[in-house]
Amino acid sequence: MDNQTVTQNDPKEFDPRTEPILRIEHLSKWYGDLQVLKHIDLEVMQGEVVVIIGASGSGKSTLLRCINFLEKAKAGKIHIEGKRIRNQEKQLNKVRQELGMVFQQFNLFPHMTVAGNVMEGLVHVKGMPKARARERAEELLAKVGLEEKADVYPAMLSGGQKQRVAIARALAMEPKIMLFDEPTSALDPELVGEVLNVMTSLAKDGMTMVVVTHEMWFAKEVADRVVFMDDGVILEEGPPEKMFEAPEQERTKEFLRQILRS
Amino acid sequence: MKLLPWDLSVIPQKFFLFADAAGYTLQITFFGIILGLVVGLLVALGRIGRNPVLSGLCRGYIFLIRGTPLLVQLFIVYYGLTTVVTIDPIPSAVIALGVHNGAYIAEIFRGAIQSIHYGQMEAARSLGMSGSKAMVRIILPQAFKRAVPSLGNQLIIALKDSSLASTIAVPELMLKGRQMGSSTFMYMEMFLIVGIWYLIMTSLLSFVMHRIERKLKVSDRG
Repeated sequence: MDNQTVTQNDPKEFDPRTEPILRIEHLSKWYGDLQVLKHIDLEVMQGEVVVIIGASGSGKSTLLRCINFLEKAKAGKIHIEGKRIRNQEKQLNKVRQELGMVFQQFNLFPHMTVAGNVMEGLVHVKGMPKARARERAEELLAKVGLEEKADVYPAMLSGGQKQRVAIARALAMEPKIMLFDEPTSALDPELVGEVLNVMTSLAKDGMTMVVVTHEMWFAKEVADRVVFMDDGVILEEGPPEKMFEAPEQERTKEFLRQILRS
Repeated sequence: MKLLPWDLSVIPQKFFLFADAAGYTLQITFFGIILGLVVGLLVALGRIGRNPVLSGLCRGYIFLIRGTPLLVQLFIVYYGLTTVVTIDPIPSAVIALGVHNGAYIAEIFRGAIQSIHYGQMEAARSLGMSGSKAMVRIILPQAFKRAVPSLGNQLIIALKDSSLASTIAVPELMLKGRQMGSSTFMYMEMFLIVGIWYLIMTSLLSFVMHRIERKLKVSDRG
């Protein structure tokens, strides 16, 4: 809704119609001797929903975590809105506000109420007055269907509710891109739907999203593009119809056969 | 006629003559533990931090203090430093108790901080928080809560350890007991009074610590 203000922060006049909002170039990362990411190239356009799939250990979570520098890649470049992000504290604290992150384990702050969680970044990072932040938190909680839980502590919530609060907390910072790291993997099966619904409506609102997930339903129905990772490389990518109906690579076929059977 | 070789009726009679001494005990314990908390927090953060020199210094401090008796540390502060600076008995006791407990409290804090799941720091950083702010806003409040039972324990140990201050002429409970014993020759009675005073104070402290623990549990389930 505040689209006019967005263009002002960028002096180099990033044009979302022609340039990707997120560009990853030749990203490589090692854990000791083990190379977990091998020269990854990936571009995401504004408003696009990219779903990354692949077996565990394929590097998909690591890739996501490298985008907001929770993990530091050893080589390669990351550009957001055309601007190169460097591994430098001050810049990272700014950039991370523009990259909402949702974790598999929710990582809500247990010593704060639900509203407190959502307000935390607004008040203590953005410096917003508390009353205004509270209003904003209530709006966001309504958006994820949890307005009545504003004053309870996270320990009183179900996993699905926790994850919706975590999404509201990330959205509070008005990020340009949302990163989801297996957001439903820690949930009981009957709670997966409520989280995917929130994510689907976010996608419909035009949010740019990069999602690591095993939920093939979400990949099929919501993704604009599906990326298949295997052994630290992007083996294949394309629109969901192509990826699910006519994958080219043998590894992709095998992975999909296994995951769709279960 | 006497069942026991001691005159226990002296205990209630003389009991409140020890009140001032108990006040000194509380005073050096209180300021000692406050100093210990400050030292402990700084040392814990220094030890966890990324600066290898600072971390090594903090490790060395903990190693030295935990490896030597409080009595030695007390004598070093009170007698040993006299060539450089003369410190009165009460401040000496507070410093020695603070420095001594600081080492233990540092380890309590370190353990508590490191027990907080790394996801908490990641979530805070992912909102754009600086590392130090995340420590203050997100990690430390949770760590303090986890540290409370151990801190309470340490507080009770400190209260009892403060009796060593009698050796440098702080007019606290233990010294009072010795003085009263030697002037009346009723050592048993006097040290029983001293023991009862300690017992009352430690019981009160553990009661208060329990209340604090309960209060801090609001954000937990059940």
